[in-house]
Amino acid sequence: MKKKNSPALGRVGLLFALPAVLYMMIFVVYPMFQNFILSFKNVDVYTFANPAKQEAVGFANYIELFTGKDGILGKAIINTLIFTVVSIFFQFFIGFGLALLFSKKFRGSAFFRGVTMISWLLPVTVAGLLFKFMFASKGGIVNQLFMSLHLIDQPLEWLLEPGLAMTAIVVANIWIGIPFNMMLLITGLTTIPEEIYESSRLDGASKIQTLFQITIPMIKPAIMSVLTLGFVYTFKVFDLVWVMTKGGPINATELVSTYAYQLSFEQFQFSKGAAAANILFLILFAVGIFYIKLINDEEEVM
Amino acid sequence: MKKKGSNIKLFIIGLIVFIIFIFPLYWMLVTALKTQVEIFQIPTPLWPKDLTFDAFAAQLSVSGKTLQGFKNSLIIACGSTIIATVLAIPAAYGLARFRFSGRKVLILYFLMTQMLPSTLLLTSLYIMFSKAGLLNTYWAPILADATLGIPFSIIILRTYFLSIPKELDEAARIDGCSSVTSFTKVIFPIAKPGVIVAAVFSFVYAWGDLIYGITFITDPNMRPITSSIYDYVQQYQTLWNSTMAFGIVAIFPVVLIFIFMQKYIVSGLTNGAVKA
Repeated sequence: MKKKNSPALGRVGLLFALPAVLYMMIFVVYPMFQNFILSFKNVDVYTFANPAKQEAVGFANYIELFTGKDGILGKAIINTLIFTVVSIFFQFFIGFGLALLFSKKFRGSAFFRGVTMISWLLPVTVAGLLFKFMFASKGGIVNQLFMSLHLIDQPLEWLLEPGLAMTAIVVANIWIGIPFNMMLLITGLTTIPEEIYESSRLDGASKIQTLFQITIPMIKPAIMSVLTLGFVYTFKVFDLVWVMTKGGPINATELVSTYAYQLSFEQFQFSKGAAAANILFLILFAVGIFYIKLINDEEEVM
Repeated sequence: MKKKGSNIKLFIIGLIVFIIFIFPLYWMLVTALKTQVEIFQIPTPLWPKDLTFDAFAAQLSVSGKTLQGFKNSLIIACGSTIIATVLAIPAAYGLARFRFSGRKVLILYFLMTQMLPSTLLLTSLYIMFSKAGLLNTYWAPILADATLGIPFSIIILRTYFLSIPKELDEAARIDGCSSVTSFTKVIFPIAKPGVIVAAVFSFVYAWGDLIYGITFITDPNMRPITSSIYDYVQQYQTLWNSTMAFGIVAIFPVVLIFIFMQKYIVSGLTNGAVKA
């Protein structure tokens, strides 16, 4: 163990970090705080420019979003949960399968693995439009494929029917998210020493036994990170849905993030939008705490 | 012998996965090269029989909004990359090299800010920028996009600095360097690959942003490319070949970055998310 820095030298470290800390204070923490206050006021298109007319309304915005006749926040939360859970389920299992495949060394392995990464880097707006086109009722490749396989005999209106629209955005999101799951799981897999596999082979363990009794328990930390981070990133998705369905048809794909945006910047009900965004934050915060606890426990082991 | 057989089997499975995965991108490219007639034909051809570059030519013409959007995005993404990188390098160094009370809290602070949804900040940032007169300037999306790059850059750069032996700093200091010069003269040059990863990610985040662009900039000549392609689709609903050509222009820098920096990107992604 080396001796620690002197307090004076330690403070130099704080100075190095200070500009970034301040920047994030101004452009993240302060707006977050403002958003919190805003959600308890009545700021809309009429009172926006006139601070004198803005007043505190307590929890009225929240109550109205949940129970008011136009409030669909409850539905939006359920939609977001469905979108997130189904996306993560498929992303994770496909990503895990691909991680097992591409962690093996064979001809082309590195190349194939590398190229599948690209869907994760594309601007989501473009990926969303691409899938909007593929799911289009006329000229869309999905309908053509299904019709040529005789699964359907009429072209489906993928983006105009509630259940189908949710399927379409989930499929697009899975395509975007698989590489993220795959890469993190591959990194986890590379930490398992080859000897462990060898000794289990010598003990006569089958491939399935090895997978469940060695591989999965050993990469459990990576699995937990992937799932919690995946939850956070998926739960706040905005652009994909905004581009593909804008929350429609009839709010069938309205997520909390698109609903908050809709309220603030289409209906100019800034306070209500702020309240919806705060609910989104609260849910993410709970999961975020869980994630941070997770990596903290890991760090202590290390 | 057996090994070789399973190798070919793996190769074939890998190839099939690759084809399924890359198909949407292939489809984007061939659609951009088709005529509208071919796109709506049933069955639509799997490659352009009547190859045409008209859609690309229209998008790349000087009068179009595409190149303007490209330029706007380039300015915005470069601006926010510079801010994010310049702030993240010293912060990551400070958090990796010095022990001070509150260090752990700061690391958690950056981790948490990375998880916040943009919608949470959007309304307040809009009000803030409107008061400061920054709406409809490049500054609004530049300042907002930098908040996406900063936490991620700090997290990956910190792991990078941690991997550089501490003895190097100490040697520099013994030779009479101050904290700042040992950082700029000794550590920074070694950390260059890490800095590149951080900058690439900040650029990709800012380039891909839609929500800040459509909210803060309403002037069609100032809009970043993601916003202008969104507007384009609203206007020309089913003009798919042009839309896809537009999309290809919009993903071009990202694909270029990907081709040349794939190795860095993979390491950055895994370092940033797992080790934190």
